[in-house]
Amino acid sequence: MITAGIDCGSKNTKVCIVKEGVVLSTASVLSGFDQEESAEQALKSALEKAGIKREEIEHITATGAGMEAIKFSHNTITTITADARGTYSIFPSARTIIDIGAEEGLVIKIDDKGKVKDFGINEKCAAGAGAFIEAMSRALEVDIENMGELSLKSAKQIPINAQCTIFAESEVVSLIHQKTLKEDIIRAVHDAIADRNTSMVRQIGIEKDVALIGGVANNIGFVDSMNRNLGFGLLVPKDGVAPEYVSALGAALVAQDKIGGY
Amino acid sequence: MFEQFKDWYENRHEYAKKWKERTGGKVIGTFCTYVPEEILYAADILPVRILGSHEPQDVSEPHIFAMFCPFCRDCLAQGLKGRFDYLDGITIAQSCLHIRQTFTSWDLHIPVDFTYYLTHPMHIQSPRAIPYLTEELKEFKKAVEEWTGKEITEEDLKRGIEIMNTNRRLLQQVYELRKQPNPPLTGLEAMIMVVSSQMVDKREHNKALVELLEKLPSRSLDEPGERLMILGSEDDDTKFIAMVEDLGSRIVIDEHCTGTRYFYEEVNTNGDALASIAERYVKRIPCPSKDWPERTRVDHIVKLAKEYDIQGAIVMQMKFCDPHELDTPAIKKALENDVGVPTIFLEFDVTVPIGQFKTRVEAFLEILREEDLF
Repeated sequence: MITAGIDCGSKNTKVCIVKEGVVLSTASVLSGFDQEESAEQALKSALEKAGIKREEIEHITATGAGMEAIKFSHNTITTITADARGTYSIFPSARTIIDIGAEEGLVIKIDDKGKVKDFGINEKCAAGAGAFIEAMSRALEVDIENMGELSLKSAKQIPINAQCTIFAESEVVSLIHQKTLKEDIIRAVHDAIADRNTSMVRQIGIEKDVALIGGVANNIGFVDSMNRNLGFGLLVPKDGVAPEYVSALGAALVAQDKIGGY
Repeated sequence: MFEQFKDWYENRHEYAKKWKERTGGKVIGTFCTYVPEEILYAADILPVRILGSHEPQDVSEPHIFAMFCPFCRDCLAQGLKGRFDYLDGITIAQSCLHIRQTFTSWDLHIPVDFTYYLTHPMHIQSPRAIPYLTEELKEFKKAVEEWTGKEITEEDLKRGIEIMNTNRRLLQQVYELRKQPNPPLTGLEAMIMVVSSQMVDKREHNKALVELLEKLPSRSLDEPGERLMILGSEDDDTKFIAMVEDLGSRIVIDEHCTGTRYFYEEVNTNGDALASIAERYVKRIPCPSKDWPERTRVDHIVKLAKEYDIQGAIVMQMKFCDPHELDTPAIKKALENDVGVPTIFLEFDVTVPIGQFKTRVEAFLEILREEDLF
């Protein structure tokens, strides 16, 4: 029994193919103007990696901001449900999930069976999400992949006070003008995003264990900022499925349920 | 079946202008549902509620703080844009600070013939509130009489009360039908029905309600899906309501001042008219700006939740509305713990980011439907 989950995110479209509850492959492409075309490409790439044919996929479940554009999917579920399903399958001990993607941060509370109890979304402001790190990496001329490692070199705490990406960026520019070290600025950026997200976690309520998923979870500097803020370590998917694929995995698992479970 | 109400709602200004032409009467714009419309009807004046337009606007900034609630700013913008240019007067009954700012700014910048600030007790739980308001209503009545040059008799007041009470009773009868397993009307229809009653001559509205009540019982709609409650301050976000119901749920009850809080209680018809009106406005389901120190509204919400058998509640928080935000934790706790009704909290502006809200509402409905998913 093979199913696919497609997470049509605002920045990337991710696909996860699952057989009997086990991940066969994952693939990601940039979300283009035509989301369905991007989904097709990502699916094609995941099929090649798994070495299977399209016809072998019995059910496709779409999720994410652009899920409705994926007309070839059999059903859709919201990111919240997909995140809960995917995270619970990796970390059964997780009761709180933080998902930080390119343009939104969300916090989900689940019970001991993985059911969603409550959730909060911050999508009114990009200052708490991945797009902000990306904008800062451009301003600092640092590859986004290197942001995490560089920030770990810093031990300084510099507050970024503005609550808005644009104004926060101008604060960063001021720091550049003051000849602040790059690693200190990067850490300040990570701390600022962490503040916004931990504030949202506290609002929903912290129940351990707490898992961090979404593309931004790949940034070790950001994870460090979150851990420092919360005073304990977050669970971040490492082996097997990367953090940005958890939602697609959740969708693929819901697809498995749809055709009778595994 | 609801075309007439929809037409009134969408063409409120045209309606008021034609009403003036037709009757030669005066129209007063009201801020807040604490304005005793009984006295205005007694004076043959048409009260119309000033509401926003849910469009982005750029005219209110010099007159009202950006951190005052968007609804109050939207209302002022309607005045500044001249959309209420037919008004002969405006009046407010003292309630929250933000809408008072809209009133005073309107008074300063948009000339009308008659303005009246009705001092309404804030401490409505005090035993002295009714006599206090009765005295204030006497002054208000006197001011209206001086303006129109016509005495308002006890008979006139009784007539005003009768018009208002009939409207309340008929709306209540329609709401009773929403308790049915499959209510014969949608939440959107109910919203437009109640909001339009605040914009047109209630005598006409009453006729339309009587006709509606003849047809409604035999009307059959598709299965309602999840039964939801909406609650908060004012709310006529028709786009949002339509979106929620399009997702396969049904709003069966509201706790808004554009809904039940507006029409829920009638005025007692035995005894002195002004004292009875005062009693009604002191004892009505309160706005949270007046619901202090006891929070009586929370119990009322729980009661509605049971009566209308709701499965979920959407707390519609107008941004920067402190009185309502203060009540939210108590409401959430009461609904979730006392009656096991999950809630979702959404922060509204006058323009609704429909895509973002859709994700949240879909996720909320998925929680309610979780048995099917896991």
